[in-house]
Amino acid sequence: MTGPGPDAARSVTDFVRAGLTEVEPAGSGRLVGRAPVAPHLRSAGGGMRTGALLTAVDFAGGFAGGLAALPEGWVVTTSLHARLLDVVHTGPLRLEAEVARAGRTSVVTPVTVHDEGAADAVVARAIVTSAVLVPAGGPPRWDRPARIEPAPAPDGLPDLDTWLGARRGPDGTTEIALEDRLRNPWGILHGGVVAMLVDTATERTTGGITTDVVLHYLAPNRTGPVRAAVRPVAVRSDGTVCRTEVSDTAADRVTAIAVTTSAPSR
Amino acid sequence: MPEVYPPAHHVLRDLRLAFAAGADGRSRRVWLPVTPEVRTDGGRGPVRMGAIAVLVDVLGGGLAATAAAPDWIATADLTVHLGDLRTPGAHVEARGRVRRKGRTTVVMEVDLLAADETPLGLATMTFAVLPRRDANPVMPPAAADDTVTTMALAESGLAESLTAAAGIRVVDAATGRSEVAVTDWVRNSMGALQGGIVATLAECATEAAARHRTGAPLVVTDLHVTYLGFGRVGPVRTEVTTAGDGDRVVAEVSVRDHGADERLMARVSAVATRVGES
Repeated sequence: MTGPGPDAARSVTDFVRAGLTEVEPAGSGRLVGRAPVAPHLRSAGGGMRTGALLTAVDFAGGFAGGLAALPEGWVVTTSLHARLLDVVHTGPLRLEAEVARAGRTSVVTPVTVHDEGAADAVVARAIVTSAVLVPAGGPPRWDRPARIEPAPAPDGLPDLDTWLGARRGPDGTTEIALEDRLRNPWGILHGGVVAMLVDTATERTTGGITTDVVLHYLAPNRTGPVRAAVRPVAVRSDGTVCRTEVSDTAADRVTAIAVTTSAPSR
Repeated sequence: MPEVYPPAHHVLRDLRLAFAAGADGRSRRVWLPVTPEVRTDGGRGPVRMGAIAVLVDVLGGGLAATAAAPDWIATADLTVHLGDLRTPGAHVEARGRVRRKGRTTVVMEVDLLAADETPLGLATMTFAVLPRRDANPVMPPAAADDTVTTMALAESGLAESLTAAAGIRVVDAATGRSEVAVTDWVRNSMGALQGGIVATLAECATEAAARHRTGAPLVVTDLHVTYLGFGRVGPVRTEVTTAGDGDRVVAEVSVRDHGADERLMARVSAVATRVGES
């Protein structure tokens, strides 16, 4: 094994209970993921919390992109665009990721999310864009076709906000401490956790449910606390459009920007 | 392909855009005059998403090219989220700045403002940094002041709607199937369909399909465009799937170059909503 192992950063993906299977033949650029709508991930409205859904999407799209970058490199997510078509989910959810373009420096992977418990309805569509890099120590190695199963579920997982440790920051912001369990294989805050933070901060600001996210990762969060500041920009018939800025407060650096739409809670 | 870009008769001239570069080389302002030709519904509706997309694309492209110099850039994605653009005043202003300049990408953020500086929406863009080729234009250095310039000539201007001038045609409203030819009026500096016009085509396709689905006067308020390849041959065509009801329709649009073996040029996710009913 070289580079970060396949089990690195499992605490985040285990929390969202997602598993992934590469579609044969290996190298097809396709994989299928499954995630139950577990009680600890449900919103008050009955669906999977958008932040958890985004983490599963990032996991599926990023992993498909990483496999497409092998053997020369691996990937980091640079942007995540997601649109929810329904915020009420029965589950389990099935994530279908298929690489649309694999270039020398970037990989683009659309991800479609189906609700298998609701006649396989499409409940979200997303695009994950990743940058190809060569990690120190080399890219990870995988037995192909690659497969990741979540660890057995422990009893009594906390709800998302509790697990995230989300708390009020100054001036109406939301912040989290950068605990080791929230880091990715490269030691920085997991991209899925950034998405969870953006969603949580948006919901706290608007009182609604995040239905649309454009998230650009600009720089790594290394130290923390990591803070999200949300500014409502426009109110429309389908919700409130917000701008969110994420920063690593210790480094006084903006690490991500996001545009979200938050629909009124039903 | 004309030798001078843009040619005398071109969308970037006829929209009569005005530009002011920030002295730091990392920010820029561009103004789009609001005329009936850039509105929906025969000039009676809000400012068209496609016109805003062209505005954002030209702002972002110029700024990213300056940031990436001496290398060149290609648009990777463009997102726009709009509020109520029924009464923006005499112009819409796009105020953009570089948020990240890396070895392989440039990320841009754009605020959209009414003439009275009321926020109208937000846009983002990502550009891939590419090795410079001989055919790429040389970007002038950033101006040292806020001098306002324009590509418009004395005779520039739209004599018909933006979509009509671009030659966009809705072939089948039920399915949103639409098309546009790749003419000099809508080519970019690389000879391909300009990114904002790709967005305008997707907007028209979404609007037609959403209105047919619901019977409601929905307009496109969100657009996520992921560019996957150039459209050099044409006609460029759309395929649309929709979901939703009379208040919000979500569309997925595939944009293909029919003349280049149906090559997939872009994937677009769009939302059409009722404007002015919050």
